[in-house]
Amino acid sequence: MPVFDKKRLCLAVGLVFGAAFTAHAQEVENASNFGDMNTVSQDMLNRAGNDGNNFLHTNGNYEQTRYYPSKQINTQNVKDLRPAWIFQTEIVESLETTPIVVNGIMYITTSFNHIYALNAATGEQIWHFKHKMGPITTYCCGPNNRGVAVYEDMLFMGTLDAKMLGLDAKTGKLIWETELGDPELGYSETMAPTVVNGKVLIGTNGGEYGIRGFVKALDYKSGEVLWTFHTTAEDSTGVWATHDATGRDMLRDIDAEKAKLAEMGDPYKTLGGGVWQNPAVDLDANRIYFVVGNPSPDLDGSLRPGDNLYTNSLVSVDLDSGEYVCHYQYIAHDVWDLDAVSPPILVDVKNNDGDMVPGVLHGGKTGHVYVHNRDDCSLIRFSEAMVPQENMWVLPTKDGERMLPGANGGVEWSPMTVDEKLGLTYAINLHQPMTYHVESSPYPEGKLWLGGAFKVIPEEQQWGNITAVDYHTGKIRWKVKTQQPMIGGILATAGGLVFAGEGNGMFKAYDSETGSQLWRFQAGAGVNAPPASYSVDGQQYIVVGAGGNTQLNYKRGNNIIAFTVSD
Amino acid sequence: MISFVRLQFVGLAACIFFSTASISSDAVDIKDKLVLCESCHGGEDGMPVNADTPILAGQEYYYLYVQLKDYKAGRRANPIMSGMTAALSKDEMKALAEYYSSMEWTKIQPEIDQELADKGGSALGAGQCSQCHSKYQGDSRVPRLAGQQLPYMLQTMKDFKNKVRLNSPAKGSLMDSFSDEDLAAMANYLSGLQQP
Ligand code: HEC
Ligand code: HEC
Repeated sequence: MPVFDKKRLCLAVGLVFGAAFTAHAQEVENASNFGDMNTVSQDMLNRAGNDGNNFLHTNGNYEQTRYYPSKQINTQNVKDLRPAWIFQTEIVESLETTPIVVNGIMYITTSFNHIYALNAATGEQIWHFKHKMGPITTYCCGPNNRGVAVYEDMLFMGTLDAKMLGLDAKTGKLIWETELGDPELGYSETMAPTVVNGKVLIGTNGGEYGIRGFVKALDYKSGEVLWTFHTTAEDSTGVWATHDATGRDMLRDIDAEKAKLAEMGDPYKTLGGGVWQNPAVDLDANRIYFVVGNPSPDLDGSLRPGDNLYTNSLVSVDLDSGEYVCHYQYIAHDVWDLDAVSPPILVDVKNNDGDMVPGVLHGGKTGHVYVHNRDDCSLIRFSEAMVPQENMWVLPTKDGERMLPGANGGVEWSPMTVDEKLGLTYAINLHQPMTYHVESSPYPEGKLWLGGAFKVIPEEQQWGNITAVDYHTGKIRWKVKTQQPMIGGILATAGGLVFAGEGNGMFKAYDSETGSQLWRFQAGAGVNAPPASYSVDGQQYIVVGAGGNTQLNYKRGNNIIAFTVSD
Repeated sequence: MISFVRLQFVGLAACIFFSTASISSDAVDIKDKLVLCESCHGGEDGMPVNADTPILAGQEYYYLYVQLKDYKAGRRANPIMSGMTAALSKDEMKALAEYYSSMEWTKIQPEIDQELADKGGSALGAGQCSQCHSKYQGDSRVPRLAGQQLPYMLQTMKDFKNKVRLNSPAKGSLMDSFSDEDLAAMANYLSGLQQP
């Protein structure tokens, strides 16, 4: 149930925003850009993949292909791409937002849960919302936020103090607020929600704190929780799998685990299983698909016997009821935090008989793209490794064992993109060698609970790459190396381009067929946010945040930059 | 309500600070308890009676609350504070944490060994302490270290290292990788840091 006192909150919002509105009164008229379509219908959201004006979903559409259908900006003219405007937020901190654009109005978020509404053609501010953060926040990897979701005339944002907010899109006024979990126990929100058929879908962070993970659906009008799917099953033991999805032995001591299970019972209550990124929605089947992150404690398996279902898995549940449909676990009983974070993508794929079937793609921290059958979640194939793999799966020790990828390896949370005409998916990757150390400690009630340490090996080189993978075969089509490990996201467009940014401030466009670099721009701070695209008055823009990243300590900034091709 | 109005005009750090002040636990009466705390941690001036006793005045709310919980649960072992917290309820702990965090930070004149302190700067760099502690001024669950009592800080760092203070396992492994002299150097540096 929402814990929310309407009277008190409305008063609070009035006070916080009263001054802002008077100060920017002339800018509020920009709200007329909403035109007649000041409301986002379910139909618009369903058709977002073919919408050449708006950018309505964090990952472009319900299938999460991040493919923008306009080709005004293309391989021929991308060399003329120039900044149209730069907007600077008040917060100079890690920026992971995907701008959402509705009929010429852009919504962006920053670290610490600010939202800005901007005129998407000019970059002028329309309104600014600051969440009143509670005194208790517990979060891993920076005070990030990855954006809002839109539905009818409302916006939705999850907060670092583990709440979901429903706001008026026109004014930025808070309408309702629901607590999703207790931040004292390690729950927090950084992902953007997904809205479908009046339901606001949200996961949770906290896999580093011994939470019990979930995906929840909330009523968009009231904030009431409609259903909760727990990502750690009450019977989390599974099938005692000895090999991972790629057939490699994980060196589990199953007898010792079984003895521990008999002694302590099922560990599901503090087993972690965060969900960091948006679910994909299959509208026809009325199902959603999401991936579940690592078990808690990350490196110490001795306190959590069993496969730890459904950590490190692709999971599908029914959209209306939240009931389990199917799952596929990549790494049972993971002790390396090489978990599943990047959002799944729904496309048709060739199965092993050569027939096209509805599929699901996921890019793993292992460095593989996994290709699934959408029907039963089963694995059809996995791609060649996109980053070096060595010594897998050596068990962590007290003094540390080197294994590649390091725990920030492969695809991380960064969303992939797909060009279905080419049958290619594009992933940005990290290569950051680490040693894995284990040191057991009991559940610390909401404090960082890694069960050891990941240590970067300072003398080894780190780098990143962009990799194009043919998902019908699992073969790598092309690969481009970057100076630094990559985190953020990638966008493909019908103009034959993919766009991705780097920690050193470079934002680049590549030919999606060949990987040749066609354009670059120095943004002055780490470009570690997923790019988006939209059009206003017939003019196409590419937009991206340049604010750096906490996790990899890339240079911080506060810029939202929109690019267009000059006439 | 004051916190809201200020929130409008001040920057980020202040936003977090003022929001901590707006927790309402008026319902809990901590007057009697405070008399006891003050006998060691100091009265209105927030000046601890002994140098082995930490400054609480102006410390982070969430950090203080967590310490009280951890003393009570035995995750942080200390003969004095375990006794002090044994009978406290969560609401009382929150109210005590709120009381101390809303006070001004107490400035002391620690006896710093400057030569050691100079070495401390580079040890802090090697430990990547600023990754979480930033400028050592504290933020929510990360405590303020700048200007904390020197003997206390050194002792608690050793307690992390020697697994007496178990309430932050990751910090135990971290302190393990430093010699006692490094710890002393860092403590001297941090204790000597004043507000920017
Ligand atoms: C007899 C003296 C004494 C009394 C009375 C006392 N304390 Fe303490 N307190 C200490 C000492 C000494 C330490 C350092 C202990 C350690 O090293 O763990 C400490 C540590 C603490 C800490 C941890 C601070 C930090 O920076 O980690 C908190 C919080 C605290 N006390 C709160 C209280 C409260 C609240 C009360 C009253 C209910 C109280 N104390 C009463 C002596 C006392
Ligand atoms: C991973 C984040 C992180 C890093 C890195 C880190 N700390 Fe901490 N530190 C914390 C947190 C969180 C606490 C509070 C722990 C608790 O709740 O008991 C803390 C507590 C402390 C305390 C106790 C303060 C008190 O009042 O009792 C000291 C001293 C300290 N840290 C020093 C250091 C030093 C020196 C380094 C570098 C060698 C360092 N820390 C690196 C997160 C970190």
